Amino acid sequence: MLLIRGIALYLDRTYVKQAPNVRSLWDMGLQLFRKHLSLSPEVEHKTVTGLLRMIQSERLGEAVDRTLLNHLLKMFTALGIYAESFEKPFLECTSEFYAAEGMKFMQQSDVPDYLKHVETRLHEEHERCVLYLDACTRKPLIATAEKQLLERHISAILDKGFMMLMDGHRIEDLQRMYTLFSRVNALESLRQALSSYIRRTGQGIVMDEEKDKDMVSSLLEFKASLDTIWEESYSKNDAFCNTIKDAFEHLINLRQNRPAELIAKFLDEKLRAGNKGTSEEELEGTLDKVLVLFRFIQGKDVFEAFYKKDLAKRLLLGKSASIDAEKSMISKLKTECGSQFTNKLEGMFKDIELSKEINESFKQSSQARTKLPSGIELSVHVLTTGYWPTYPPMDVRLPHELNVYQDIFKEFYLSKYSGRRLMWQNSLGHCVLKAEFPKGKKELAVSLFQTVVLMLFNDAERLSFQDIKDSTGIEDKELRRTLQSLACGKVRVLQKMPKGRDVEDDDSFVFNDVFTAPLYRIKVNAIQMKETVEENTSTTERVFQDRQYQVDAAIVRIMKTRKVLSHTLLITELFQQLKFPIKPADLKKRIESLIDREYLERDKNNPQIYNYLA
Amino acid sequence: MPRTSKRKAAPPSSASVKSSDSLSVRPGKAGAVKAVTKEVDRIDQLFDSYANKDLGLIDPEGVETLCSDMGVQHTDVRILMLAWKLKAKKQGYFSKDEWRTGLKALKVDNLEKLKKALPTLETEVMTPPNFEDFYAYAFKYCLTEEMQKCVDVETICELLNLVLGSQFCAQVDSITEYLKFQSDYRVLTMDQWVNFYRFCHEISFPDLHNYDSDQAWPLILDSFVEWLREKRK
Repeated sequence: MLLIRGIALYLDRTYVKQAPNVRSLWDMGLQLFRKHLSLSPEVEHKTVTGLLRMIQSERLGEAVDRTLLNHLLKMFTALGIYAESFEKPFLECTSEFYAAEGMKFMQQSDVPDYLKHVETRLHEEHERCVLYLDACTRKPLIATAEKQLLERHISAILDKGFMMLMDGHRIEDLQRMYTLFSRVNALESLRQALSSYIRRTGQGIVMDEEKDKDMVSSLLEFKASLDTIWEESYSKNDAFCNTIKDAFEHLINLRQNRPAELIAKFLDEKLRAGNKGTSEEELEGTLDKVLVLFRFIQGKDVFEAFYKKDLAKRLLLGKSASIDAEKSMISKLKTECGSQFTNKLEGMFKDIELSKEINESFKQSSQARTKLPSGIELSVHVLTTGYWPTYPPMDVRLPHELNVYQDIFKEFYLSKYSGRRLMWQNSLGHCVLKAEFPKGKKELAVSLFQTVVLMLFNDAERLSFQDIKDSTGIEDKELRRTLQSLACGKVRVLQKMPKGRDVEDDDSFVFNDVFTAPLYRIKVNAIQMKETVEENTSTTERVFQDRQYQVDAAIVRIMKTRKVLSHTLLITELFQQLKFPIKPADLKKRIESLIDREYLERDKNNPQIYNYLA
Repeated sequence: MPRTSKRKAAPPSSASVKSSDSLSVRPGKAGAVKAVTKEVDRIDQLFDSYANKDLGLIDPEGVETLCSDMGVQHTDVRILMLAWKLKAKKQGYFSKDEWRTGLKALKVDNLEKLKKALPTLETEVMTPPNFEDFYAYAFKYCLTEEMQKCVDVETICELLNLVLGSQFCAQVDSITEYLKFQSDYRVLTMDQWVNFYRFCHEISFPDLHNYDSDQAWPLILDSFVEWLREKRK
């Protein structure tokens, strides 16, 4: 046709332009061709089927004459029958083809392969459009392919492969899934799958009581892996970030209190001295990560209670790895929860620092220099009640020298700060003793109770359990533990007769004069009261006590603004305001207590309604 | 509200009985004022015949004498109702003012009339708004100490029996059984007391189908219902 037009170019240019009723040669040719083609539909039909067959075989991987395809389709376009005659059957055919393929592949191959396949398919279709299809076909074509290959299989893909991909941490495959799913608007289902995955896996970690020890570190690992997946596979999608957060909050609060306690314990382990091998930066990093978990916890007060208890131990026994790390942790908590939360914790640090000063000035004071028995040095931590956890007072009859010392210090302290009351917490004291064994001089680092027991042996060779008990006045159980640590532990300063692990009533003890040890300074480990169950429950109970006031305050706050409120609404509002898990029955109890104390009353006419009594 | 004081033989003075026999209120224009003062006199006489002269009050002993003269037990609910009507503040005592206003309201001025007034009083108490007031009064009447706000469980059980026993026998039996069984509460508050009545009044018993612990019932009733349901299983 080009040829014809070339020959008759002059005609086309001069005559046709001037004669309005005559079409250009090109148009005329097209029209004629169309007319003939429409006269013989079987030709058209044949061409189309031919085309479709060619495309199909290309899809199946055979090489075809793309130029031919290109020309034919250009012809269709030129004739204006592209959309009608070709595009429609083509799309139908595509749909059928991919429907079948999708079904087949879903059954045959596993999810990552399937996704890879889908990706290549979509790419191919795209190329096809560029190479020989009309540009306007691209959208419907890709949509058809996506629909058949992806949309219909979303849930199957998620069911079959999502867990596996997450467990295997397969970032690339997950990313592929994410991009493909985002094409068909299926991110919502992906998000849900993610959420339920986190919940399921997290539940496994949190609910497994036997693995309590590793819970925090497992959770940290889990969170870290989720974070990388989120960054690399989910292109930092905000919705997904929230999903992860929500799911974590949910799972960490599945078990009341225990996770909070374990996080506190975990931090204790990290902050305690003897945790060598981690550099400051690493420690900082861990702290930050733990803080993320902490953020999810609803029972922050439980955390505080346990953290405080452990912190007290670290500070008093000088076991803290680094004061800087401690302080940075506190400041982190402060930014997280406000100064109210860390008030007491900071107070503890202040006490320790103040105590240092007091000890200094005590040593300089005249009282100390003139009156003190020689040979003993004393350092005192003065702790503010209220900041520190409460310790049960333990009685002990101190040796005379120590008593004198205590009294002098007391005198000194009270002369400096009159009106205060000092109470000695004997159970927290620890000492360094100089001991002369026949086989060499040693220094023993022991607890105050151990000291008291050992000093008895200054004057005696052999003492019975009862003797020791009478002269020290230490409480029975505590004394047994103390003796056990001295005579049955690793370092045996005393010998027990008869030998055995447990201390019985009629045992007696002898100074061990064949004691040897490679080191000069020896630490005799006190047998730690292994975080007794009672101690644990008492901490938890105290937390609940504190919560009562919070509940009361919340009820009064709400009622003060509302004046009149129905029971159900009050309960709902309370659940929103209170940050920790609580049972409705507990709330009722507090409401009743407030009724009793005449903050509230039940409405005379409708008992479901409370009135605020100003 | 059991009274433990021993009953002392204190026969009513014959004078008061006589006077009450011989006198009756004669309505009439001229005699009206006189009649009123006379009525007050008679009420006072009746009061004096039971009062402890030193205290100027009818004390527990006087109350017991009064009861026996009327032929009712001092633990009878009607005595509690009388106390309610008299607005008696202190358990076991009637002051002169309480006595005067109360008896005037009852329109009685002698023992016989008082005795006859008791059934009427009972019907008065049993009408709804009065009963609620009476019910709450019964609790307050048991607060014998200054600043006392709670009543111990045993007294509550007896009191429940006394005031609700006739109307809600089954409920009262269950509740008292539960109160004796549980160990969480040793004393009960006014709020809990009031809600017992609400419970008896509103909750279908014994199936409890309309009880919902999400409503504002006090915790003790929640646990009571739970206990009851558990027991049924």
